[in-house]
Amino acid sequence: MFSLSQRFQHISNQALSFAIFAAVFVVATTWAQLYRDNVFELSSSIGKVDPNINVRTSRYYGSVNGKPKENIRLTFDLDADLTPLFNWNTKQIFAYVTATYNGKLKKDVKSEVTFWDTIITDKAKAHITLDNVKSKYTIWDLEEKLSERELTFHLNWNIQPWIGSLVYGETTGQTLVTIPERKVAPKKSKSPATESEAN
Amino acid sequence: MNLRLELTRFLNLCFALASAFMFWKGLSIVTNSHSPIVVVLSGSMEPAFQRGDILFLWNRNTLNKVGDVVVYEVNGKDIPIVHRVMREHIDGKTGKQLLLTKGDNNAGNDIPLYAKRKLYLQKDRDIVGTVKGYIPQLGYVTIWISENKYAKAGLMGLIALSALLSNE
Repeated sequence: MFSLSQRFQHISNQALSFAIFAAVFVVATTWAQLYRDNVFELSSSIGKVDPNINVRTSRYYGSVNGKPKENIRLTFDLDADLTPLFNWNTKQIFAYVTATYNGKLKKDVKSEVTFWDTIITDKAKAHITLDNVKSKYTIWDLEEKLSERELTFHLNWNIQPWIGSLVYGETTGQTLVTIPERKVAPKKSKSPATESEAN
Repeated sequence: MNLRLELTRFLNLCFALASAFMFWKGLSIVTNSHSPIVVVLSGSMEPAFQRGDILFLWNRNTLNKVGDVVVYEVNGKDIPIVHRVMREHIDGKTGKQLLLTKGDNNAGNDIPLYAKRKLYLQKDRDIVGTVKGYIPQLGYVTIWISENKYAKAGLMGLIALSALLSNE
């Protein structure tokens, strides 16, 4: 009647149901806390966006068959308090600054690109204040040029939980920046990637 | 030996296997992904995902957002890669979306991993699914079994033993 395998089956069944119950409880309380803390309406401000245009001819900078491609880097200020995103089921926060813009030659193309991101694992460091920080990535578009376009910057976040569902959100601040025209520098035969100017 | 009993036992085993298979395929249909549950194999998304973590995928979305963690397959290589979307370009006319991805723990983007001369992934063709849910570490069993031959033999032995012992 009471065999070893039966006992084992019984215990593993109980362990499984308890684990499922615990996981559901954790996920439910996490979502309740997120809504209570109103995390989907956190504010942020991005300022002093200062673009810097380069022309690259490498495949790893978006160039196709060696055709020149405009690459944009920038410096910017950022202030955002993401502390409310930390609760008992937050393993890390991935915060990222993106820009959205429309195509110029192809009007139907809409794009969103990441200029900067960071991983926060400590609640004490969740208040981001950046002053004149360089963007992490250099950005190119599908089109040859990215200059003379309007970019809308905002800060997004993603909560990576210890267990359960990944949570995404956007902060309320928005910054509109028009990338100026690239000043054409005198041609140089070598090192096409060193030309840059800011304004 | 009771032949009828043995046959019933065999039928039960078949039933268990078939229902597991049905569950997996049913999940595939619901999520529209050929592998709706994956185990992380590399550390390129650390500290978000470690080796052995289990991810649940969803692939009914027609578009991905920047910041989504997606699983993609490059044709020619059958290893699925779990990385984060950094850029998306959506053509409003054709509805096609191009994605550029990067692992959180990698310094550079994924262009070197893509198929030859490709600078982007195509959402409708390359993406296996978007990560929606997460369970830590439990998938390590599968890594352990597939990479350790003793573990594989041990597991087979255990199953055989339990089949032999389960007459009550």
